[in-house]
Amino acid sequence: MAIATGPRGGYLERPRPSGLADVIDVILDKGLVIDAYVRVSLVGIELLTIDARIVIASVDTYLRFAEAVNRLDIAHDDTTHDLPELFESMTSGGAESKAKGAIEGVKEKLTGDDDDDNGGSSGQRSRSSSRNRSASSSSGSRSRSSSSGRRSGSSSSGSRSRKKSS
Amino acid sequence: MSALYVYGVGQSSKCADVSARGVAGGDVRTVEHKGLAALVSPVEGGALAAAREVRSHWRVLEEACDGATVLPVRFGTVMEDEQAVRDLLLEPNAERLDHALRELEGRVQLTVRGDYNEEQLMRDIVSGSQAVAKLRERIRTLPDEAGYYERIRLGELVAGEVGHRRAADTRLAIEMLEPVATALREEELRQPDAAFNLACLVDRERQDAFGREVRKLADRLGDRIELRYVGPLPPYSFADIDLDTEAAAWA
Repeated sequence: MAIATGPRGGYLERPRPSGLADVIDVILDKGLVIDAYVRVSLVGIELLTIDARIVIASVDTYLRFAEAVNRLDIAHDDTTHDLPELFESMTSGGAESKAKGAIEGVKEKLTGDDDDDNGGSSGQRSRSSSRNRSASSSSGSRSRSSSSGRRSGSSSSGSRSRKKSS
Repeated sequence: MSALYVYGVGQSSKCADVSARGVAGGDVRTVEHKGLAALVSPVEGGALAAAREVRSHWRVLEEACDGATVLPVRFGTVMEDEQAVRDLLLEPNAERLDHALRELEGRVQLTVRGDYNEEQLMRDIVSGSQAVAKLRERIRTLPDEAGYYERIRLGELVAGEVGHRRAADTRLAIEMLEPVATALREEELRQPDAAFNLACLVDRERQDAFGREVRKLADRLGDRIELRYVGPLPPYSFADIDLDTEAAAWA
């Protein structure tokens, strides 16, 4: 395949500094969790977190789509013609819903580009929309049970730990 | 009502001042107790716009971790006041936090993520699996409506093949990187074309050696998988401690 993908350059021996899109998942899912009882509940923060993931993840998705579209100029034989389609139909659930979320998101958010990130996620600022609010009220206020639910969710995500005895 | 947003916990002797603006524009300062320092900034009550504030959270931690070891606190953590930070966070968890900090001392998180080249992955699967190739050929002759279940079946077969390749590629990446990392975690895959996502804890002085292994891994994987090598990051994945539920087990 004639497409030169990332790893060919000499830069790979040095990690590149993180952009927000690279770290959004660890920021939202990892780190010290402080006892739900002693945390002050800020109205809406839990749901706005989901919002943040959608906004930032979809910027990433857009960039990937843009890249994919740009690659299309490369000569095709007839197999390449429908293979991407095949893949897309297999995966469109995720990509589509993400993209859709973002489009809705753009409608509902003020996009203020007040600073730059090398991850390509331009400054997005969100207002708590009516969608968020109704979602927030239906799921109830931040409570011990909701937070433990989130926790069990993240522990079932299958991140396995390997640690060497030091 | 004013409260304190909490970013992370470090050792008070090592935490330098953070110049980055905190969440909602607040000044970042430390609350210290028993040799530990919690990085905090004041916030007013009410909803924070997380999509915006996650950026402040990230910047503060990047800066704080530049020279020191800091345990990142999960995004969106707010405590009532300084007293609460001391009495409810630092005091009851002092030993565990100190222990975790010492384990992470001088180490950084480096993330190595592999994403398949979608087109090539699909080609490999078609050429590597007779079942996929045959079914694909058959579907090509059917009108769209007629091939519905066949297409689902094809997608299922392809997904299975993707799973096998993922497992093999993850194994290879772990085999190559584990010897140069202190600890390694497989993180959740969020993209359909993701091959693997590894959070690696690496000694600062072994970063070059680690980088060379990443390079070798990239050569082994060739054009099939695009690697993203990011860091150094604060040790988010290795500070993933639930102070609530694990408190009893620790005591």
